[in-house]
Parts: sequence; structure tokens; C-alpha cells
Amino acid sequence: MAPPAASQRYPSPSQPSGKSEVSDLKTQLRQLAGSRAPGVDDSKRDLYKKVISYMTIGIDVSSVFGEMVMCSATSDIVLKKMCYLYVGNYAKGNPDLSLLTINFLQRDCKDEDPMIRGLALRSLCSLRVPNLVEYLVGPLGSGLKDNNSYVRTIAVTGVLKLYHISPSTCIDADFPPTLKSLMLHDSDAQVVANCLSALQEIWSLEASHSEEACREKESLLSKPVIYYFLNRIKDFNEWAQCLILELAVKYVPSDSNDIFDIMNLLEDRLQHANGAVVLATVKVFLQLTLSMTDVHQQVYERIKSPLLTLVSSGSPEQSYAILSHLHLLVVRAPFIFAADYKHFYCQYNEPSYVKKLKLEMLTAVANESNTYEIVTELCEYAANVDIAIARESIRAVGKIALQQYDVNAIVDRLLQFLEMEKDYVTAETLVLVKDLLRKYPQWSHDCISVVGSISSKNIQEPKGKAALIWMLGEYAQDMSDAPYILENLIENWEEEHSAEVRLHLLTAAMKCFFKRAPETQKALGIALAAGVADFHQDVHDRALFYYRVLQYDVHVAERVVSPPKQAVSVFADTQSSEIKDRIFDEFNSLSVIYQKPSYMFTDKEHRGPFEFSDELGNISITPEASSDIVPAQQYEANDKDLLLGIDEKDDNKGLSSNNGSAYSAPSLENSSNITSQMQELAISGPATSATTPQSSFGFDDLLGLGLSTAPAPTPTPPLLKLNPRAALDPGAFQQKWRQLPLSLTQECSVNPQGIAALTVPQSLIRHMQSHSIHCIASGGQSPNFKFFFFAQKESEPSNYLAECIINTSSAKAQIKVKADEQSTSQAFTTVFETALSKFGMP
Amino acid sequence: METPRIDIWYGIAEIMDFGYPQNLSPEILKLYITQEGVRSPFSSKPKDKPVPNATLQVTGAVGWRREGLAYKKNEVFLDIVESVNLLMSSKGNVLRCDVTGKVLMKCFLSGMPDLKLGLNDKIGLEKESEMKSRPAKSGKTIELDDVTFHQCVNLTRFNSEKTVSFVPPDGEFELMKYRITEGVNLPFRVLPTIKELGRTRMEVNVKVKSVFGAKMFALGVVVKIPVPKQTAKTNFQVTTGRAKYNPSIDCLVWKIRKFPGQTESTLSAEIELISTMGEKKSWTRPPIQMEFQVPMFTASGLRVRFLKVWEKSGYNTVEWVRYITKAGSYEIRC
Repeated sequence: MAPPAASQRYPSPSQPSGKSEVSDLKTQLRQLAGSRAPGVDDSKRDLYKKVISYMTIGIDVSSVFGEMVMCSATSDIVLKKMCYLYVGNYAKGNPDLSLLTINFLQRDCKDEDPMIRGLALRSLCSLRVPNLVEYLVGPLGSGLKDNNSYVRTIAVTGVLKLYHISPSTCIDADFPPTLKSLMLHDSDAQVVANCLSALQEIWSLEASHSEEACREKESLLSKPVIYYFLNRIKDFNEWAQCLILELAVKYVPSDSNDIFDIMNLLEDRLQHANGAVVLATVKVFLQLTLSMTDVHQQVYERIKSPLLTLVSSGSPEQSYAILSHLHLLVVRAPFIFAADYKHFYCQYNEPSYVKKLKLEMLTAVANESNTYEIVTELCEYAANVDIAIARESIRAVGKIALQQYDVNAIVDRLLQFLEMEKDYVTAETLVLVKDLLRKYPQWSHDCISVVGSISSKNIQEPKGKAALIWMLGEYAQDMSDAPYILENLIENWEEEHSAEVRLHLLTAAMKCFFKRAPETQKALGIALAAGVADFHQDVHDRALFYYRVLQYDVHVAERVVSPPKQAVSVFADTQSSEIKDRIFDEFNSLSVIYQKPSYMFTDKEHRGPFEFSDELGNISITPEASSDIVPAQQYEANDKDLLLGIDEKDDNKGLSSNNGSAYSAPSLENSSNITSQMQELAISGPATSATTPQSSFGFDDLLGLGLSTAPAPTPTPPLLKLNPRAALDPGAFQQKWRQLPLSLTQECSVNPQGIAALTVPQSLIRHMQSHSIHCIASGGQSPNFKFFFFAQKESEPSNYLAECIINTSSAKAQIKVKADEQSTSQAFTTVFETALSKFGMP
Repeated sequence: METPRIDIWYGIAEIMDFGYPQNLSPEILKLYITQEGVRSPFSSKPKDKPVPNATLQVTGAVGWRREGLAYKKNEVFLDIVESVNLLMSSKGNVLRCDVTGKVLMKCFLSGMPDLKLGLNDKIGLEKESEMKSRPAKSGKTIELDDVTFHQCVNLTRFNSEKTVSFVPPDGEFELMKYRITEGVNLPFRVLPTIKELGRTRMEVNVKVKSVFGAKMFALGVVVKIPVPKQTAKTNFQVTTGRAKYNPSIDCLVWKIRKFPGQTESTLSAEIELISTMGEKKSWTRPPIQMEFQVPMFTASGLRVRFLKVWEKSGYNTVEWVRYITKAGSYEIRC
């Protein structure tokens, strides 16, 4: 055996003494090369081992390449293995010398031992030297015809390796058709599986420039091929089974019988011990039945229990992966899992990532029959030691409350949380109570009485504090000491570190002032002064804005800051349904675990040939259409707080109902743009209000002024006229797109001039804008483009939203229209199509 | 160290070729490795001894079993291992309870045997009585929520005849996994009472009852009773076993080496707490956790009815069947 001391002494190639070791080896190998003495193999083994061990620890032993090759004339399989290993590692760096190895490798490829034939062939294909590929063709050809399946499996992979070194050699030698016939006729499952993976890879790479490869690629998905594989699936090993199932997902069944046949063939795969096989089967089932609603549901029922078994057996990591998939299904079809909610109860020792997922699932499956149990269980978690999970569970209770109609008991539970007197529990609960109040204002009395008893000093977290302040402002008339609590808070303005809280303080002080002016006047004055002096830009701007609005007209100010509120019916979902669908299409992949479609986390070059550059939510905003929207969006992105965003929107609504077109004021959302807001006000302010400039805060004017009524909307003109200056922010668009039902789907053709002009999406966007149809988002590249447009009626705040997918190769456009007013959507579609048909015309 | 390194290298080459998984059955992979690893270098001349027919088995129809195995004594060991997961509320209601079970086998059988396993599960029994057209024997039948099998099990036959038949791999493997949620026999009942007496004192009383057969016993019973972080002093009496306060996990750890069936045992403890100003609100109690093993008991009631071995040479086999129930996450809130 080699003394290990040698390698310990010279552990790295940077040490110069490694060199002398290598040259020692070189001389010794040279001595042995010609020798045929008995026992020479044993000494060669020792030397080879040394060489390999140097190689693995990183010493460059490529200089002995020649000697190694000379010594390789041996019949000892152990020596051969080591030699193959060495050659495989250094051939690429020594293309000239590698030629020497070809000879003995080719000879070994004809050895009588199949193992040596296989190993030699594998090594030959792993040389990766482009100018040696001509020597590969012969051995590969005979390898594919070898009577031993081990050699054939290696030869098939060898073909693929050859393809990657030199595609033309591989194609010219006619290997792909050989592989195809091998795939369809070989008796050995592993050979067949390797053929399939090799052909898939070769044909999809060839498909871009060869029509024949394209056809061949399609033919893999033909009915006979698919059935050939599915009938034999039991013969394959687990990984090959996954490969076949992946193939089956892409198959388009001809009719429902076809679908049932496949499902019958695959049903027993659900009992397989390998989770990958089970998930791949589940994917096939789900995709096959997408169009058959009732069968799709039965599929859910059928796959439920295998998935639950996989979750409960195995490591937390594995169960997390399965749970993520289950989570996706639960969110898609909560009612099917409603009875199984107990499976999603958390165990005390589970890692928090598993718990978090389970909490989300519990939230999703909650319905009338199980809410009580689920909420009881969630309340247990609220006392969890793990604070993050405790928070999540409180949020989960809140979400259930928001999605249910009978919230009576849940509200009580929430209010009990407040009695736990833990900072984070109180903070989370306050946020929830605030959301609940926004949806169910009728609960205000119960909630307010409890909330009022909370001392604001005990709440440290900005979000909780902001929520409390919001409630103080909103329900100032119901809470007797609201102005005084606010006053206390305002006095500590300097100590308030969170800008968010300060913003809320300003707004709350304003709201409180409108309701209980005499008590709040002083506090508001202090707040505005402190706000204007604030170093934070948003706080400063908002204070200044409030100050100026008050100065201008108190009534306008009231309508801006504290308009009558409508209950929020639906809270915005964080992910659009399109993204969710995309994730569902990528079932059984990392997308599900990341909860993002693959294009969001893969590099551009690895994506498929056609992907929309982005979905609505984070789509690049085209500068032409909405330069005024960009800052607003940035603002929203900076401030992720929902509360603030909505608050602003409320303000916005108040204003816009005033000037007659909702969402039409382009920059209202942007608090950093007060001046323009002020101008807007000045232009559209009701004529009744007095416009006397006021030098002071003008508080003495406040009393005695009534609400002026908004001007009545003008009657709808008979013809659909669109507002050329319409504006809509992306968030509002997204929300509307989700909420509104699809009113029309239309396919129309685009004229050839239009197609010619559509080299970049911008050209169409500009064209449509000239017809008062604005683009909010666009994406894609030739031949597919996708656009989202919106338009508004000239005189009313009625929006039309449209999704338009244009395929330039087929010159077709697909239009989906959603509208606030369903009755006029046809008219809009006509306008849209007319505009589109004129595209490209001079 | 060098030889294993080369073997690992080769092992990986056999497992994965050009990024595509090839063969992951350890049984088959062993054929590649043993040639040089352990036996070399001095058994030398591998040319002389026939290379084991690795290349044939690699891709044979029964990918998981080598041909030509021979044992002097043909033995099969079958273990049914169940773990019980329980979540009980402080009022003694079972919130969640399920059993995940595994059937583990160890086969030392010659040739290519065909095995058939019969369990007292509901579907299997019903199918059988239907086929033999006689009424099912009375007795407990178990309803399995879901079953998964090792790849050696003929799934088509399981779906049509509901019998588990297979050609086993050599040595140790996991034949099947199952899950049960209905009709679980809990081996232990835990009745905790915790009283907080003022701010510095607590009284803990935990009674553990074994509810399995009197002739059986549990081994390695551990009950972990959580106590607050600010525990200063503990004082306890136990009827059996030994208890200890473990401050690193904030638990009273009560160990009972052997716990016979149909008995009960109690721990009563007095706990003194350091009074702190900050923690004014009561401590949120984590659940009591339990560990145990009960040999020859299955929480699901699952039993092996038969295990038949066929081989063309018709040798006799010895079958060993064991049952054991362990605690999975056995939690009782208090």
C-alpha cells in the first residue's frame, strides 16, 4: 500500500515538492511499462493508486499521461478502471496525447467481458476531445448492437455525449433513428429509458433548426409511443418511471376514453413507495382531467390519501416538499380537504417552516363545519413559544374571520387575545381587529370597547400602534377619550421612530378633528407643526398637504381625509390567479415549493422559448402609457403596508367622487406630489366653497360649515366615448382584473401591415393610445405578445380592461374584455377591434 | 484510503451517467464495488475468478435481486413497526390521532422466492372471503387509510386480488408503509393536573395509565413534563421509575424502564419559582410529551395472518414476526 504520509506531507499542488513526487512516479511507471514479469500488476496498482490519490487531492499529475497510457496494456480490470478514471480526467487537457489512449480503449471495446466493454466505451465517450470523435462512431455503433444490455445502456448515453461534443457527427452517423428503434424494441428497460432521455435531449436541441427533428419530437408524444411506455412502466426503475410520467404529462389525449385508459394504467403508481413517482403520477392525473370538472374533483379525492401518507412519513424536509404541493391543491380546492383538517394540525416539535405551511392550509380549509375546531386549535398556537408561529396563528384566525360570515365567536377570541397581554399578540391582534372593522363595521361597538381599554404605552410594534391609531381616528366619536390618547401620542412625536406611525398619527388627528373639533384642535396644530418639521419626506409632505387643504377649505379637507367609508368586501389576494395557475402547471417542481412560477427564479437563458416577461403585478410599466403611474407604483412598493395603501385609496375615492371620475386623477396616490394634488383640487373643487385665502390655520371658521353635495353626474352619451386622459394605477388594475367577471372573449385577425409594424410592443401601445386605449403592461417577444389595456368612459368612472394576446405568425389576436358595466362591454370591444384593425395603416 | 475513493468514484459513475440516474439499487451496486475494495489487493488476479454477472443483473427483470443466492438456513424476519401520533387537549379530548406503520423485512432466502403476505386488513379480508365465497371470519379487521409498497410488490396483483405478493430483495428492506386514523388503540392515557399556587409555587400531578394487555409491558417510557423557565426548586415523588428536573429543556423528565400493562403510575411534584417582575402573565404551557416502545402490541391492531414462501426448490423456511409500537409525537396539552 502507498504510505499515506506522502499525500499528507504534500496536500496541495502549491507545494513545490509535489513535483518531485510526480517525477518519481513518472520514472517508476516508465520502468514498469514494458515489463511482463509476474507480479508487475501489483506494483502497477500501487503506483496507479498513488497517481489517482494525487489527482483527487488536486495535484496536477497530467505530466505522467504518456506513461500511464504505456502501462495500460494489461488485462487486470482493477488497473483498467483506474486507468480509465485517469484518462477521463486528463484527456481534455491533453488532446494530442489522448490519441494514444484511443487504441487501447478501442481494443477494450471488443473485450469478451461485457463489463470491460462497457467501461471502455464509457471512458471513450467521456474523453471530450472534439477531434477524436471520428473514433467514437465505430465503437458506439457496435455498442448499440451489443448483445449485453449493460453495454447497450452505456452506448445509448454515449450517443448523447457524442451529440454534445459534435452534433453533426452524431446526426450524420444516423444514431437518432437507431436509438428510436432501440427504444421501441429493446427488451431491457434501462436501455429503453436511456434512449428516451437521449432522444428527448437530442431532438429538442435539433428542433430549432430541423423540421424533421421537430416532427420526431412530436412523435414521442404520439399515442402508440405513450401507451408503449405506460404499459411497460412497471419494468422501469423509479427514475425512469418519473421520466415516462413526465412524458405522459405532455401527451394530449384524444378523448375521454383515452384519459380513463391512462388513469387506469397508472392508478397503482399512487401506491409506490417513491414520493417522486407518486407526485409525477399525481401531476399526470391532474393535467389529464383539467377539462373534466367532476373527474378532476374525483382525482383530488383519490390523490389525497397517498399525499397525506407521504407527508406523515419521512423527514421534515420531505414532508415540507409534499406539504407544499398539498398546499397548492388545498388552496385550489379547499372544500375537498375540509374534512381532513386534522392532518394539518401542528405538532409541537415540528420545524417552523412546516408549521407555517400547515397554518396556511388550516386557514384555507376552514368552512362552516370545521371553523370552531380550527379556530380553537389556532388559539392554542397563539400561546406558542415560537413567536413567529404565534403571530402567524393569530393572523390565521383573522383571515378565517375575514373569509367567514359568522364571525361572532371569532371576534370574541380575538378580543381574548388582547387579554393575554403579550406585546406581539396584542400588536397582531390590533392589526386584525382593524381589518375586521374595515370589513364588518357593525362590530365596531364590541371591538371599540375592548380596544379603548388598551393602553397605547404597552404597544411597541409600529404595525400594532398604527392600527390602534387608525381605530382611534376612525371611531373617535365612539371612544370618549380618543382625542386625549391621540394628544398624548402626539406629544411624544419626537420619540416615535416609525414614520408609518407618524403618518397615521397625522391622519388620525385630522379625522378626530373633523368629529370632535374643539377637543382636538390643539393636538392637531401640534401634530401638523411637528409633521411639517419632520425629517421624513412622506410625513413632511403629508403634513404640508393637510395643512394646505385645511387652509383652502375645511370641507374639502374633510371629504379628502375622512369621507364616509364603504366596507371592504374583498381584501386583495397577494398572488394573481394567473400566477397561481402557472405554478399549478409546474406541479412537481421547485416552483411549488418557492410558490413562484419558474420564470421568477430561473435565469433568462434557461427559460422556455416563450414566456411572458412578467405578470401584471411586477410587469415593466411601459413609459408611454403611464409615466405618471410610475412614481405611484414606486411609492406603493416602498411602503408595503396595506393599511396605508388603502387609506390613501380611501382618500382618493373621497376626492374623486367629488370631481366626478373615480381613479381619474393621475397622481392622487402619490403623496410626494402634493402640489399637483392641490392644483387638481383647485380646478375641480366645488364652486360653492369659499376660496378666501386664510392666513392662519383658520380653525375658527370650522364650525357652521356644512357638507356640500357633489355635482350630479352627467348623463351617459349614447355612443361610447373614451376618456383620452384616463388613468389607472397598476394595483387598482390588478384588483379589478381579478374581481371582474370576464365579459367577452374575441378572436380577430390582425392585418399584415400591423404584424409588420409589431416588431416591438411599443408600436402598438402608441397606436392604441391614440384611440384612447391605454396600455398598462406589456410583455413577450416575437411571435407572441401580450398586452393589458384599459380605457375609461369619457364622462363616467367606468373602466374597461382588456387582455390582448397577439401571435404574429398566425396574425391572430385574442382579446379578453372585462368591464365595470357589463352592458357596454360589447361596444367597447367594437371600439377596440376597430382600433386594432387600423394598426399599421398609414 | 485510496481504494475506497476510487470505488466511490465508480459507484457514482454507475449511479449516474451523464446526469441521468441509472441504477440506485444498493444490492446491484455492491457487485461493482466488492471486486476490488475489500477483497483486493491481495486476492489478485481477478481475471481468474469469474466476474460476477453484474452486467446481467443490472438490467434484469428483477432488478432488485441477484440470482444464485444460497443460504444454509432460509429465514425471513418481519417486523411491524408502528408509531402513534397523538394530540390530546387538556380536557382529555383526542384532537388528532393517527398511526403510521412500516412493515420491515429481512430476508435470507435462497434462489428466487415468491412471497405472499396476508394481513388482517379490511379490504384484503373482504376480497378473500368473496373469492372463497364464504363469510369473513369474525374478528377485528383493520381499515388502512393508505398503503405504499416497495417496488418489488406486484401492484397490479394487489389491486386485483388485494394480496401483497413479491419477490423480495436480499437482506433488509421496507416492504410497505401504511397510515391509519380510525380505531387506534392508544397504549397510554395521561392525566395531568397542574395548579399554579400564587406566583412562586406550582403543583404538578401526572398520572400515566397503561391500557394495553396485562401480559405485555412497555419499555423505555419517558414522560417530559414542561415547567416554567424560572423554576428554582423541584420536589417530587414517583410511584415507579425515576424523575429528574432538566433545566436545559425546562422539563421534568420521568423515566420508567419497564411499564407493565393495565397499571398506573403517578408523579407528583411541587415546584418553586423565582418570582420575577417582568413575567407578570401566566406561563404558556407546552404540551407533555411521551416516548415509549411497546413490543408485541400494535396500536392499529394489525396482525400478520400468514406469510407464505414459494421457491421452485421447495425448501423450508423459518419465519419470524415481531410487532412493536413506538411513540411518534405523543403530546398531551395541560
